[in-house]
Amino acid sequence: MEKTSSTSRITRRTLLRALAVAGLGGAAGPLLGPGAITAQGTLGALQPEEKVEATMKRLFGGRPIKDGSGAIKIDMPLIAENGAVVPITVEVQSPMTPTNYVKHIYIISDKNRRPMNARFTLTPAMGTALVGANVRLGETTDVRAVAELSDGSLLMAKREVKVTVGGCGG
Amino acid sequence: MADIGKIRIRVPSSIKQGDVVRVRTLVIHPMEIVQRRDGKPVDKNYQFINRVVVTYNGREILAADTTQSVSENPFFTFTFRATEPGTLKIAFLDTHGGKYEGTVDIKFS
Repeated sequence: MEKTSSTSRITRRTLLRALAVAGLGGAAGPLLGPGAITAQGTLGALQPEEKVEATMKRLFGGRPIKDGSGAIKIDMPLIAENGAVVPITVEVQSPMTPTNYVKHIYIISDKNRRPMNARFTLTPAMGTALVGANVRLGETTDVRAVAELSDGSLLMAKREVKVTVGGCGG
Repeated sequence: MADIGKIRIRVPSSIKQGDVVRVRTLVIHPMEIVQRRDGKPVDKNYQFINRVVVTYNGREILAADTTQSVSENPFFTFTFRATEPGTLKIAFLDTHGGKYEGTVDIKFS
């Protein structure tokens, strides 16, 4: 972690400001104090940088994941010219009744530094289990959609997308 | 960044009661990505949307936990079943404490 020269003159004001922006420079380290409430965007609060296997393990533990390629439809381009904006739509076949519905849909990109893209929490009031988003992809990668059903079982489908220009930068 | 938090919501022009309606929404937001200096990530409070909540007449129908690997000016699609006329509200919350809300009236034709 780099020290910035601007924090060498620590007054009460600058210290408070440094705390508020989560300890750039002098007040280093993950904050646990009062400043932590507003500092949700610090590195410690982000998804960790890890391999996709580690992400899957962290999110789903050792739970078995069934092949859901029949039930999950991933709609996204075969080739994404710009990795910064890749539209993806995930639709899961489900009756979406209060007893049988899709609880969560995860979008995970295998080769992103932080593979987890988004997690959607769905309710039966949606009528269909369809969510779409624009995601960033760092390079040509498999994109996984994992659906967690209301009975706790997991389904996964995968699609490869070729990315011409990466869109993550970091 | 004056436009930050500007929200556009699109619903079909004619909705019938009981329809499953597809909604598209876009919010203007920078969704900052992690900067690197000498290959090391810089620790600061990055500004990006980390939570999206959709409510229909006060009931939460969809929530999303988003990360930085969602594009700048995020765009989302989802569906909901229009059971009654009312208001669909979409709230975007970012890491700097910003809360951006957009609403759309659901009327039957």
